[in-house]
Amino acid sequence: MVFGQTINEYYKKYWPYFLTGVLFLIIVDYAQLEIPVFFRVIIDGLNAGTIDREGIISNVWNITIAAAVIIGGRFLWRISLLQAARKINYDMRNQLYQHHQALDVGYYNRSKSGELMALYTNDLEAIRRSVGFGLVLVVDAVFLGALVFYRMFSLSVSLTFVVLIPISITGILGFVLSKMIRARFSERQKAFAELSDFVNENMSGIQVVKSFVKESIEKIEFLKYNQLNKDKTIGFVRLAAVVEVLLRSLITIIAIVIFGYGGFLLQSTAGTANPFTYGNLFEYVVYFNLLVWPIIALTQVIQLGATAKASLIRINAVLSEPIRVVDASDVSSKPILGGITFNDVTFAYPDSDIPQLSNVSFTINPGETVGIVGRTGSGKSTVVDLLLRLFNLEENKILLDGNDIMKLPIGDVRQAIGYVPQDGFLFSATITENIALGIEIDETTKAKAEEYAKLSSVYENIAEFEQGFETLIGERGVRLSGGQKQRLAIARALIKEPTILILDDSVSAVDTKTEEEILGNLRKLRQNKTTLIIAHRISTIKDADRIIVVDEGRVIAVGTHDELQASSAIYHDFVTRQQLETELEAS
Amino acid sequence: MMRGGGGNRVSPEDNIRNMKDRVILKRLLEFAVPYKWQFVLTFTLMFLGIGLQLVQPFLFGQAFAIFEDAAFEPQRLINLLVIYAATTVLSGFVIYNQQMIIQRAGQSIIYDIREKTFNHLEDQSINYLNQVPTGVLVTRITNDTQTLSEMYTSVLVNMTRDIVTILGIIAAIVGINYINTGNINLALVVLSTIPVLLLFTYFFQKVNRKIYRQIRFHISRVNAYLSEHLSGMKIVQIFNQQRNKYKTFVDISNDLQKADMKQLLAFAIYRPTIYMIRIASFILLFLVGGLEVLSGALAVSLVITYYTYLERLFEPIQGFAEQLNVLQSALVASERIFDILGKDERITSPADAVTVTDFKGEIVFENVWFAYEKEDWILQDVSFHVKPGESVAFVGATGAGKTTILKLITREYDIQKGRILVDGIDIRRYDLPSLRRQFGVMLQDVFLFTGTIATNIRLRDESIDQSTMEQACEYVNATHFIDRLPDKYEENVVERGVNYSQGQRQLLSFARTLTHQPNAIILDEATANIDTETEQIIQESLKKIMTIGTTLIVAHRLSTIQHVDQIIVMHKGKIVEKGNHQALLKERGMYYNLYQIQFKEGPAKPLALEGA
Repeated sequence: MVFGQTINEYYKKYWPYFLTGVLFLIIVDYAQLEIPVFFRVIIDGLNAGTIDREGIISNVWNITIAAAVIIGGRFLWRISLLQAARKINYDMRNQLYQHHQALDVGYYNRSKSGELMALYTNDLEAIRRSVGFGLVLVVDAVFLGALVFYRMFSLSVSLTFVVLIPISITGILGFVLSKMIRARFSERQKAFAELSDFVNENMSGIQVVKSFVKESIEKIEFLKYNQLNKDKTIGFVRLAAVVEVLLRSLITIIAIVIFGYGGFLLQSTAGTANPFTYGNLFEYVVYFNLLVWPIIALTQVIQLGATAKASLIRINAVLSEPIRVVDASDVSSKPILGGITFNDVTFAYPDSDIPQLSNVSFTINPGETVGIVGRTGSGKSTVVDLLLRLFNLEENKILLDGNDIMKLPIGDVRQAIGYVPQDGFLFSATITENIALGIEIDETTKAKAEEYAKLSSVYENIAEFEQGFETLIGERGVRLSGGQKQRLAIARALIKEPTILILDDSVSAVDTKTEEEILGNLRKLRQNKTTLIIAHRISTIKDADRIIVVDEGRVIAVGTHDELQASSAIYHDFVTRQQLETELEAS
Repeated sequence: MMRGGGGNRVSPEDNIRNMKDRVILKRLLEFAVPYKWQFVLTFTLMFLGIGLQLVQPFLFGQAFAIFEDAAFEPQRLINLLVIYAATTVLSGFVIYNQQMIIQRAGQSIIYDIREKTFNHLEDQSINYLNQVPTGVLVTRITNDTQTLSEMYTSVLVNMTRDIVTILGIIAAIVGINYINTGNINLALVVLSTIPVLLLFTYFFQKVNRKIYRQIRFHISRVNAYLSEHLSGMKIVQIFNQQRNKYKTFVDISNDLQKADMKQLLAFAIYRPTIYMIRIASFILLFLVGGLEVLSGALAVSLVITYYTYLERLFEPIQGFAEQLNVLQSALVASERIFDILGKDERITSPADAVTVTDFKGEIVFENVWFAYEKEDWILQDVSFHVKPGESVAFVGATGAGKTTILKLITREYDIQKGRILVDGIDIRRYDLPSLRRQFGVMLQDVFLFTGTIATNIRLRDESIDQSTMEQACEYVNATHFIDRLPDKYEENVVERGVNYSQGQRQLLSFARTLTHQPNAIILDEATANIDTETEQIIQESLKKIMTIGTTLIVAHRLSTIQHVDQIIVMHKGKIVEKGNHQALLKERGMYYNLYQIQFKEGPAKPLALEGA
């Protein structure tokens, strides 16, 4: 069982399931304890010769009824309790994903993707097990355990006290040993992870290994991890074997105590008003067997609860992560026509003190094509991130057609922009679905997708695939090259026919000739439409109306290609350093 | 786009079960042969253990028999309890030792298989290893062997134990019945539930396996969707797709939920039904047994004895069913491993291989043709001659075959036509390690291993001393940043070396190469955008490195080209021009055109080319 923020809401939501489940669980536990009573009646009756044929049949009939109740009850508590756990799991998964969708890019920049995935896999699973199975364990441990003890006490107080000693030793030992076993197990897991990491690195760096003829050294190194893995596994198994033998011995001790002391009771109380009968002894043994489960359940409950609590804390941390980038109350839709003004923008990413942009000011008129160049880390991409309203800004820092970007609905701003990322990120879907992202697919859309694929110079590549535009891409489909991805991403942005088009170093993996072709198409298509081209290659932006040169977060020069060649030393340096490579590729 | 090639990636993951179970089992047993005595001992101990455990219910019944007797004799009870304790102690001893012997043997076998698999893969050609995704290779050596280990440590022993236990208990019930009553009626009645149990378990396992596969399928769909959309959240948001994507996610999530519910229902039926079959046995025992006691044919303690035996009968039956699943996955894992071991794509030296002794560094390509795959020629009839100590730069567009040429010299791949000669001898005649040691190879993407700066430079080679390493670092100016690190050479390198900049990685790669004292240099110049300061340091180091001996460079920088003796211009797998800078300009060919474009566009004569 695990309680806390978020999960409590779900307990409230699904309380009828929990109530029904617990009810049936208790009924089952109770019925389970009735069966030994009927056993005892039969055995005592047979032993003393006081039972007849009808007596046996009626008792067996009673057992059958109890068994039927148990069978039905077990079915029903499984259906209700475990179903509730699954439903909560499903709801929480959706809730978590929905919240993740609302979190800003800043959050993703500081989270590791492996850790995000672990929330959905490990953590939600831990909670599910604790909610469903955990509750069963709690009820069984508490209710069944208490009932069994009650029955045992009512059969014989003294015998139960005597038996209680080895039982408590077993309980404590079980708790301690399971902790030790877990420690050994995680050691073993660690050794296994190290072995995996070693092989993974070795295989990834096989080129280095072979070039430097280090195969034999690596083989010897591998044996270390291999040996460690073997040793840790054997260490774990040894402890597990010891525990098994120990538990068996303890149970034997308890059995011996029951038989020894029980035999004594049998003799000493014979003939008294309240004798401890032969059948009682059998009944007692059956109860004792029933007790083993609550003891195991108790240790598991503690363990399950602890992991689930840790998982819940992690999930709650995400769910309480504030949604920062969101429409303010005073936003209102205004037409976006393509005029962009940066007004003395200084910006540092959240959780960072180093400003990516310092006092950046520039204006782009509607319909202009503007290039932005600069080295890696100069702040080019930050300009785009801010335009896309991926972060919050102070008042009147960025204006779209004179309107403060912070006062415009985020949806409007992003709808007006066609954005092409550098990595050409695409989804695992068909090519049409990727190009027409978010547009309903019909014949017109398909035709448009083909048209824009042509304009992005990727049509011929698509036509070569067997299924053409219906080709599935990504992990399960066709793997595309970096250049193909970038060109599809261009088509995806163009199909929106956006007011503002932003290419964020989007043709870096495309060869120069194709780049030329795409840029030519863009010139025609984007006439009198604002286009922002960020590039690291001069050839991409040299024909722009204006070029903005950024360095270390500042705008250091603005002008046409020719103007900048003459006036800007940094720009000139770029040009000379890049020429050889680009021109060779163009040949 | 194919940088340096690599061919199509083929995954052996999609193999269906091709080998026969019998063949796999036979091969698996071969691995166990060196440990046959351990197995003999294990099985002996196991039978002993089962015997001891089978005695216990009998003793349990005997205890009741003692109480049954009118004349209670405490001594008899004490004797019985002592025997009971003794069987437990003895069986504990037997179980412990049996477990440890089989585990030691099993783990030793896995150790052997892992070593064999790793060594096998380590010796394969880079071409082959590049075709198989790294994840698959890692899984073969780690997870698959892990799954396989169950075969030795659990499946073999447990299945045998379960069967013997089941048969033992059945024999005990039948035997005791016969000895005491002269017939086996009660035994037959009580055991009549077993076929029902077996049949039901068989069907459930079939259904469950199907549901389980569905769940795995939906889980991986959900996870793939999540992993993709969490990493591409920026695009989802920029394209305002939150609502659509959420809807799709809920659909996928719902599919998983439905499959989960099926499993829930299956188990909600399975578990109570198993209980029902069990309790039916007990009900039959008390009904039929009780009536027989009434008729005087049976003692009450025998009913209790049967009860205790029956209690122990169901566990091994369930266990056996579970072992069948383990056996299935162990067989799949084994087949995958054998599949890997069955493929041999090593590049080997001939038996009469020539060991490089006095390396001069003359490299000749004679009409070399090469394709990664079939007729898809990457190099076509390439010939050139590099004199000892000369430096050569390869220039050309992406995919022209520059990088491929570098890979052929150290026999990462073997060519299909023509010859490559080093110091006048065909490289295929050399002892491969001795040939590779002559060349210092530096690639575009510098691969760094987890460890320290030192382990990355020395590559764990203990024979390289500290001063050799430090001198090399000094020589290539890597000390420039290493000396500034708090722990110098012992500074940590995290996975893939992401805590070092591109430039630093480049310098580390130079240091690594120089530490190994090569006689010739092969270098694929980095295109990465490196900050100006480091760029200068790298250029300076490069100049020094080129003096070591014959140098072959895929050049991306003007400054590099101007320093070399020979420039080879490549286009679509063919050499179109070669010569030094001046000669190529005079030729008025491709190189000249490039130069012209530059000359026209530049504001002034490009300084870089003037000095050549």
